[in-house]
Amino acid sequence: MSANRYDAIVVGAGHNGLICAAYLAKAGRKVLVLERRHQVGGATTSEEIYPGFTYTCCSYVVSLLRPWIIRDLELPKYGYEILPLESTFTPFPDGRYLMRDSDPERTRRSIAKFSPKDAEVYKRFGQEMAELGRLIKPLIDDPAPDPLSRDPRELLRLGRLGKQLRGQGDEWLYANVKMMTMSAVDFLSERFECEELIAPMAISGIIGTFLGIRSPGTAYVLLHHYMGEIDGSFRAWGLPKGGTGAIANAIAASARALGVEIRTEAPVAHLLMNGNQATGVVLENGDEIHAKAVVSGLDPHRTFLKLVGEEHLDPEILQQVKRFKMRGSSGKVNLALDGLPDLACLPGPGPQLTGGITIAPSIDYLERGYDEAKYGAFSRKPFMDILIPSLTDPTVAPPGKHTMSIFVQYAPYHLKEGAADWPNQREAFGDAVIDTLSEYMPNLKERILHRQVLSPWDLEQIYGLTEGNIFHGELSLEQLAFLRPMAGWSRYKTPVDNLWMCASGTHPGGGIMGAPGALCARTMLGKRAV
Amino acid sequence: MRPDDAREAGRLMATPANTAIVIGAGPNGLAAATRLSQAGKKVLVVERAAAVGGLSARHEFHPGYAVAGILHDEALLPRAVAEKLGLPRHGLKFRRAPATYLAEASGPGLLLSSDTAAAVEAIGRRSAHDAKSYAAMRAFLDRITPLFASILSEPPPAISPGSAGDLWQIAKRGLSLFRIDRKDLLELARVAPMCVADYLNERFETPLLVEALAAPAVASTWSGPWSAGTMTNFLLRECAGGEAIEGGPPALIAALLAAARGAGAEIRTDTEVARIRLENGHVAGVTLASGETIDAKVVLSSADPKRTMLTLLAPGTLPLKIEEEFINLRARGTAAKVHLALSGPLELQGSEGLHDEAIRIGGGHVDDLERAFDAIKYRQFSEKPNLEIRVPTVADPSLAPTGHHTVSILASFAPYNLEGGWTDSAREKFGDAVIAVLEQHAPTVRSRIVAREVLSPADLETHFALTGGQLHHGEIALDQLLMMRPAPSAPRSKTTVPGLYLGGAGSHPGGGVRMTAGVLAAEAVLGG
Repeated sequence: MSANRYDAIVVGAGHNGLICAAYLAKAGRKVLVLERRHQVGGATTSEEIYPGFTYTCCSYVVSLLRPWIIRDLELPKYGYEILPLESTFTPFPDGRYLMRDSDPERTRRSIAKFSPKDAEVYKRFGQEMAELGRLIKPLIDDPAPDPLSRDPRELLRLGRLGKQLRGQGDEWLYANVKMMTMSAVDFLSERFECEELIAPMAISGIIGTFLGIRSPGTAYVLLHHYMGEIDGSFRAWGLPKGGTGAIANAIAASARALGVEIRTEAPVAHLLMNGNQATGVVLENGDEIHAKAVVSGLDPHRTFLKLVGEEHLDPEILQQVKRFKMRGSSGKVNLALDGLPDLACLPGPGPQLTGGITIAPSIDYLERGYDEAKYGAFSRKPFMDILIPSLTDPTVAPPGKHTMSIFVQYAPYHLKEGAADWPNQREAFGDAVIDTLSEYMPNLKERILHRQVLSPWDLEQIYGLTEGNIFHGELSLEQLAFLRPMAGWSRYKTPVDNLWMCASGTHPGGGIMGAPGALCARTMLGKRAV
Repeated sequence: MRPDDAREAGRLMATPANTAIVIGAGPNGLAAATRLSQAGKKVLVVERAAAVGGLSARHEFHPGYAVAGILHDEALLPRAVAEKLGLPRHGLKFRRAPATYLAEASGPGLLLSSDTAAAVEAIGRRSAHDAKSYAAMRAFLDRITPLFASILSEPPPAISPGSAGDLWQIAKRGLSLFRIDRKDLLELARVAPMCVADYLNERFETPLLVEALAAPAVASTWSGPWSAGTMTNFLLRECAGGEAIEGGPPALIAALLAAARGAGAEIRTDTEVARIRLENGHVAGVTLASGETIDAKVVLSSADPKRTMLTLLAPGTLPLKIEEEFINLRARGTAAKVHLALSGPLELQGSEGLHDEAIRIGGGHVDDLERAFDAIKYRQFSEKPNLEIRVPTVADPSLAPTGHHTVSILASFAPYNLEGGWTDSAREKFGDAVIAVLEQHAPTVRSRIVAREVLSPADLETHFALTGGQLHHGEIALDQLLMMRPAPSAPRSKTTVPGLYLGGAGSHPGGGVRMTAGVLAAEAVLGG
């Protein structure tokens, strides 16, 4: 039994939990972070799964980490460094390929091989997305606007927002409405004609969702991915030096320097409750730790169903929690390679292997993969987003050897046979991935020293991601902004007194953004909850 | 001058200044004509077919056998509009909508009455949980219906209020919004963007019920029950009138025709418009396919927006940007009509009565409906189509010889752009697929078929001048509703061409047997 008392306990040392803790400590609060695993980071992690090789287990690229958070927490001082990812390479089964990179002229020539018309439109498209994104970007850096509020201050804010919107002009407003509601394919098809461009572009609209590229609502997610920036360079994505875990380590180091106490291998069993009030936590070893406020860095299901417990929840709240959809749809395959594999369409080393490699050869291919998942099977021919991080960051593999990170969709958590069947299907899933990739990289298999296959089930078991959903809850229209995670509870406060939520299951959602964590801390301090 | 005198004088000297031409004599065109005439305008309705009615006309597909409209469901018909136009005086009679029998492969099925209490009782025999849920759902829908009634009967608010009128619209909407309980508002905000499968699965454990309630929300759309936004269509349908009329859609047409003529409108059939003429950028009249020209300063088209703006207007008339809006308007038909002439009744095994007027047949699970939708993404038709069935002869035996019946089937999904095209062979194969599904529930049907007609979306396009064979003129999709319908440049019946109005299903509030779009366009004309 611990006599320690903290101002705040943060459950879970994912990047949002750590950021929330750091901001609270910066404001002078005494903060304790409790992490179940042996290391911090949650899904923002990299591990030496195979000796000598650091796998980027989950998240593999970053661009949306808010610049103001990077500055406030002085992250570069603690080792945060992003190496820009310059290109996206898309090979096609017939040997042709599409290369899009930071050189506009080279990109234009590559697209022009498929459609000269599209090559011209592509240049303007980036600007168009930047224009549309102007509305969304500020919304990420503040709590979600609540249009149903009767609070005069909120109405004032909404009024100002409304004025801003109207000031943009009808055309811009209409374009945004369309963006929010259309499918990625429909949206892109209004502008582009060739499938070889539309298909790889459309996949940005489905990453981490349980949607297909023809599903309404995916054009919005497309825009979301277009809003990344690095060092002010808009729409650039990059590789964390040292692996994704370096980001979490930098945040943790900054947090510690601010006075945050971080304990790993300290799993929390549940909250200490006094009526409807949270007064602290109970660890799995029985230790009780008290605090003025508890902040959950876990997803909404885990927060309410495990930490709080159904018996402490109002039936209507419980119903809303259960209705929050968390269906995981992706898996990861991480490889240790004995050397570089060759792309059949462009053998040898080169920029085609250094950047992102996307397997998304056609609209039907991607849609069929989604169809399979809808009915409880992993895609036999999946979409893949591939990186060879070691080509940009040699620190993650021995010299001459490489790691490969393969993000895969679709791998539905809810298999037809039940989620618990994943251990039986894991290897077949891994095989489907490697077999499909081998069609484009024929000598891949002979290079493989080791492979790690993470199904949504594994993501849940190992990283605590309920149903393997990488965003702590689907980013569908009805689970965004003031509806995330529940209508009426989108400002980080929960129906349980003194319990707050600070991770991706709140606004503005998932990805390595850090905004939920920082906004939660800001809100808690503003309301003097801690 | 008294209004009658004015009309009389107008008839004697019909000048272009106060003449309006209405293109299309379906419910929207006739309703627009009635509204305009009743307000003193001289109206000429031009209809390309030999008879009025459009998709609501009586359709004789085989000598002696007819169905009551290609569109066979009046559930969206607004009573208020019908009364405003004086249609009851011209013979229109409302009746209670028939119950829908949900057929089940090996089971008694479920008779879903339009009366909530009766439906709850029927559902309760299968699942007490679902009965309770259904009652709660209906209660919620009833509470938010006033908001939807307002949305469905008025022009959509402008996105960028430029005038006081617009601001008042928004305020009124806001007031109406706040008269609804905050809890209901939150629930509405939460559910409107959802997919209908998630919403229904949250509430019901009976797969038959989930599929049957989901089906109307996706029929004729380019979406399946797992597509985001289908709840909006669900709400727009469930919170509409829900009534029926005696005589079905053709009776509406008859009443409209009488009302329009009674108010002084002239209707010409077998009269196809080839071109909408402009002079100095303003509407000047139309040129018919025959070559005849008619002058008018106002043309109100109830034809589909793509046809109106891209075919009836001369190419090059519209600025590129506006033209692109209409090119991008998605209007892909996704359903086919199948009509059967039967030598006896449609007997469904499991049904308690032989006289089901409305029937739904699906695979029994919402995933079957989704699978049916999957097909069209690959330019195929569903091998096991979902069927929305009406047996109009139950209510109106005159549609077939004594003792015989006709069956009207809306079959989903059948894509406009079928791979290989809608050849005779493709049409037959689809018809066979429909019969195969029907036969599983009505084993005697095959032996009773006297004749059958299959109208693919391509056929609907050809026979009814319906671009893409899309029954709503523009797909019902989240980005093609309200002020986005049919296009951002034409959200409230007016187009960027002075004098040209859009008042068909492609405008707000959409298609179905409805009239509202036509009336809103007429009011836009009158509003100046």
